[in-house]
Amino acid sequence: MLAWITGLIVLLVKLVVVLVALLLTAAYLVWAERKLLARLQVRLGPNRAGKFGLLQPIADMIKLLTKEDLVPESADRVIFLLAPAVVSVTALLMFAVVPFGTDITLFGRRVPLIISDINVALLLVFAFSSLGVYGVALGGWASNSKFALIGGIRGAAQMISYELPLGLSLVPVVMLARSFSLVDIVNAQNSYPFILVQPLAFAIFVISAMAESKRIPFDLPEAENELGAGFHTEYSGMRFGLFFLGEYVHMQVLGALVAVFFLGGWRGPWLPGPLWLFVKIIAVALVMIWIRGTLPRLRYDQLMAICWKVLVPAALINIILTGFVMLI
Amino acid sequence: MIKLIIDNLRVEVPPGTRVIDAAEQAGIMIPRFCYHPALGAVGACRVCAVQVLEGSCRGIRMSCMIEAEEGMVISTTDEEAVAFRRQVIEWLMANHPHDCPVCDEGGQCLLQDMTVSGGHGRRRLPVKKRTHIDQHLGPLVVHEMNRCIQCYRCVRFYREYAGYTDLGVMGSAGRVYFGRRSDGVLESPFAGNLIDVCPTGVFTDRPSRFKGRYWDFERTPSVCIHCSLGCRVTVNTRYREVVRVEAAHDPQVNGWFICDRGRYGFPYASSPQRPRSARIDGRKSGVDEALDEAARRLSGIAQRHGSGSVALAASGRVCLETLGALTRFGSEKGWRGPFFRAGPRTAEALQSASKNLEEKISISLKDIEKSDFILLVGCDPVNEAPMLALSVRQARRRGAVVALADARSVQLPLDARRLALRPSQLTAALMRFAGKAVADGGAALSDRARGFLQACRDSRVDPAVDEQIDHLGLAARESRRPVVVCGTSAVAPDTPAAAANVARLLAAEGRKAGFFPVLPGANALALGLAGRTADHGAALREALEKGDVRALVVVETNLSELGFSADDPLLENLEALVVCDCLDSAAGRAARVFIPTQTVFEAGGTFVSAEARVREARPAFRGGTPVAQVSGGGHPPRTFSPDIPGADPLPAWQVLAALAREGTRVSADTLRKALPAPLCGAAPGKRLALPASAPDAFQPPEDPATAADGGLEVVVCEHIFGSEPLSRRAACLQELESAPRLGLHPGDAAALQLSAGQRVAVDCGRGVIEGEIEIVNEMARGVLLVPRLRGIDWHAAADGPLVVAVADIRSVKPNGES
Amino acid sequence: MSSDRTKKTKPADHPGTLIAESIKALGSGFATTAKHLLRRPVTEQYPEQKRVLPERSRARIVLTRDPDGRERCVACYLCSAVCPVSCISMQSTGGEGGRRVAAWFRINFSRCIYCGLCEEACPTSAIQLTPDFENCRQDILEMVFEKDDLLVDHGGRDDRYCFYRHAGIATDTAGKGEHVNEQPPVDAKSNLP
Repeated sequence: MLAWITGLIVLLVKLVVVLVALLLTAAYLVWAERKLLARLQVRLGPNRAGKFGLLQPIADMIKLLTKEDLVPESADRVIFLLAPAVVSVTALLMFAVVPFGTDITLFGRRVPLIISDINVALLLVFAFSSLGVYGVALGGWASNSKFALIGGIRGAAQMISYELPLGLSLVPVVMLARSFSLVDIVNAQNSYPFILVQPLAFAIFVISAMAESKRIPFDLPEAENELGAGFHTEYSGMRFGLFFLGEYVHMQVLGALVAVFFLGGWRGPWLPGPLWLFVKIIAVALVMIWIRGTLPRLRYDQLMAICWKVLVPAALINIILTGFVMLI
Repeated sequence: MIKLIIDNLRVEVPPGTRVIDAAEQAGIMIPRFCYHPALGAVGACRVCAVQVLEGSCRGIRMSCMIEAEEGMVISTTDEEAVAFRRQVIEWLMANHPHDCPVCDEGGQCLLQDMTVSGGHGRRRLPVKKRTHIDQHLGPLVVHEMNRCIQCYRCVRFYREYAGYTDLGVMGSAGRVYFGRRSDGVLESPFAGNLIDVCPTGVFTDRPSRFKGRYWDFERTPSVCIHCSLGCRVTVNTRYREVVRVEAAHDPQVNGWFICDRGRYGFPYASSPQRPRSARIDGRKSGVDEALDEAARRLSGIAQRHGSGSVALAASGRVCLETLGALTRFGSEKGWRGPFFRAGPRTAEALQSASKNLEEKISISLKDIEKSDFILLVGCDPVNEAPMLALSVRQARRRGAVVALADARSVQLPLDARRLALRPSQLTAALMRFAGKAVADGGAALSDRARGFLQACRDSRVDPAVDEQIDHLGLAARESRRPVVVCGTSAVAPDTPAAAANVARLLAAEGRKAGFFPVLPGANALALGLAGRTADHGAALREALEKGDVRALVVVETNLSELGFSADDPLLENLEALVVCDCLDSAAGRAARVFIPTQTVFEAGGTFVSAEARVREARPAFRGGTPVAQVSGGGHPPRTFSPDIPGADPLPAWQVLAALAREGTRVSADTLRKALPAPLCGAAPGKRLALPASAPDAFQPPEDPATAADGGLEVVVCEHIFGSEPLSRRAACLQELESAPRLGLHPGDAAALQLSAGQRVAVDCGRGVIEGEIEIVNEMARGVLLVPRLRGIDWHAAADGPLVVAVADIRSVKPNGES
Repeated sequence: MSSDRTKKTKPADHPGTLIAESIKALGSGFATTAKHLLRRPVTEQYPEQKRVLPERSRARIVLTRDPDGRERCVACYLCSAVCPVSCISMQSTGGEGGRRVAAWFRINFSRCIYCGLCEEACPTSAIQLTPDFENCRQDILEMVFEKDDLLVDHGGRDDRYCFYRHAGIATDTAGKGEHVNEQPPVDAKSNLP
């Protein structure tokens, strides 16, 4: 009984720590993105709230929280209100299976640095990732606005399409690690990270992951210059904030997954495991910001062509090649 | 039909069409300054040049000066023609001043448009500009001669079309000058048309000077309600105020022009004195409250004294919707009336004029222009229905004979044969004329017509004038399109019926004869068709004296039109005087309950003109106190408020519906439908369906000659400015009003030992008229003319020509002592 | 990317070349943005760093005066007519000495888009745009300027131009024939050349 209670307390503490860390990182990722983008465009970026604009995320949050929460008159109210939560919750839940480091011993108890190590973790990640589509599609549909609807449809089509290369690119990783558990996958990279043996899978995964997170150059669902703000055109205040949060949590999830699948997860010399993971997440995020600052948005046909004509075949070939190499 | 080609377009026009009109038909607007459809072509401005490629006169020609020919080929876009026109515009601009920003014509200036479209931007002439000294032309028109381009439109309108001579052209060469010999008020009551006619800013509107630009005005098609002709006008409003009224083109009625009364009579609508809130017993109140209170008092009186103790009063300026409300709610509630006109004589004259208007002899103003013989009986066109004078003048210019039988010295812008007759002689004179005008026994005539003809031939007036009338009748024998125009205010009650019968007789003979009544008030014909003859001011007076009427509802009517003065002691007998009006009148101030109504500019309305044409005025703005009066003239209020100050007044018909406790949500359509035929079928823009023949056609008058000896017949004379109750409130027109003087023939004056300038008091039974004597040479003997102007208590004689004994005229000293 | 259409239309290109070119193009793009990271930002820190605007930059509108210090505006309505956002309104009236003046003149700066069309339309050089763009108010009603707020005591750009010296209409500034480039008035009643 006591063990069960302490287990629960430990779990709750882990949850709180991960949640706070994720949200704080998301907030400062926004700041970092704005700052970095500004510099990429020879601007200054936010510099009014606090030193270097460091209080900007807090100011933004206060603003979003205090703004009026508008619901369009003809919107489907329940779904409209739920959709942003779906997006951010699914993004957050994916972190449940990401390992942050080796087990540590606390008060004589072994505490694994993961919220939940399950043997089908990878499938869970894909499941939540697929569920996230609902937030976008339903949010766009429930707004009862043409812009939002088109954005939602684009989002659904794009995210479902890119699930495929995303999943296929990880098949070699699973083959190499011989497990769906992320802990095992990290452990399998004890000697070398998988990026060295699976560069193609890495590229496919990163590209598909960016498409999943609807970031430039794949931001067709919210293409500002054609759709207003796409699927979240009608959202305001903190509900818009939830979409926003979802996107940046998603960025971190991607960073974490890239790190886990290809960069050796929390493994690394000198630094403790969680810090290594954090560094890798931030590195991936910065690269994504750099990409955003550099590449223009794709055309819709290009978007689909890349997915079905390039990424999927390439991923399949990669699986066959990997299997072939493993056999011999 | 002639076929020609203009700019590669096939055009088919009737023979005699000018090329400039033919092009307009095809949708090609050739530039023009001097050409005007009403004034014709003179070829003065040279800007309508076109290239004639095929035809009898090839080369550059003025399109207003050549007629369309079969097979003609014309190009307006030919390089040479365009260069020519561009050149013309440049030299017309050579002396034009640099003052468009301060010129009121700017924005609706033909010269400006042409200069811009001709591409002329900079003056290349190295010579100094020629200048002119301007003249002061009175309160209506501003003169700015520097802007003139010598198109001659103004003098062609003023002298040829309108027939006045005080404006003309002077000078020679580059110094041609259009103006009067010296400064002074323009004599023509049509001078306002100079503003519309002038293609540039030489003549601009003085009352609306610097009030705004054409493009800022809300322009609404409307109808002039200052006389019975129903001329079409365009109302320009801005900031809840009527700024300007312009003539609108109506080929059947007013053509291109309107008179100055119609053009400048509108300021009553935005007068600061105009009542905009209701009053109960002298206390200001909301309109709803006042309507409730009035309805309560009226129903109380109806309960106590019977529904017939409530009477309605109306005048010729109520619209068809209000008249419908009067008819419907009056009959539903059992109220009396509506009472209109001062007494039995004027009421009967109006009634006989309106009920005798029938399909065959009813004509329009345009038809008058085409007639070849016009007999004006007891009417003074310039003062009673001004545009009629212009129509008669156009007929005269085409060679028609114009004859005038009237007691007054009627001034016309044309030469007419005059018969100075007392009102009581007019019927007999008309009939004698008809007896001579019909050539033979009239085999084609019906029995009734032949009976009337016989009565005509038996008619005698006065040996002194019989011979003149016979001459006139003989002159009318040859006419193909004779017209009888008959007034209603200075005639005997049976004269309009006799006039209609004369027209009928001439028509029965096979000619295209017409009868045109001149009526008092914009909607007088409708009142005549809808009302009962017995309901007139004198009857109301009698009922008041007897105590039969205890409550009076006065709708858009001045009590003087019913023969009452505002302080009439009889009004004291009333338990309730309810006045609904848009004017600040003495009756309104005396009313127990006063309810403000909207003007025609706010409420709109339908009117039936004297020629039975249904005219619609659309609401020009939503009502409310003009912005300039709300803000104290500085600038409009800085704070926003959704409600309009001073917007309490309602249309009169809604007021009536509320008084009858029917609620104000009554549709104007159903009210019009409540009227008797033919008024219930009134459709805007069309003519009323008149009866094919009046029931009492060819009924000879009972006793045609009722000349009273030994007395003077008192005739109330309308004046173009100052008589009509709406326009007399316009400050600019008040400057043009004549001095109020009592007119006497020199013979009568000598007999009465009165001289010009002497002050007399005339006891008319119902009241005393006091005023200075003026000797009028051309008027009839045995008549006293009373002007319907401020300063004279004319309402005592309001009921048509009444006879006063010589003994009733006495001389008074200027301070009023006998 | 290899799916680039324009490149696909060239059959001569070998897929390998295409991929190489694509990667080169991508690389140069990333290199460009990376280089930008090291450049000094061009941003000017507005309230602290104020740039001196060119004399003809277009911001707050003023009404200028004649050389003799009188209002130049003749309330001709051209500026209000040309204004694409209808922020100018006025009422013209007769002023002293036969001049036409504005009884009131109002510009709603909360609507004004500073396009300068009014200045271009003004025939008397009365309405002019100044470089003063710092024209914000907390209360939107304070952005509605009346004539007194708009009038300045100088002539602005055409400081020697006086409309009534050229107009040709008689005012207290110049009578008939006394304007620039005018002959004395003619005597219409004379036929002498």
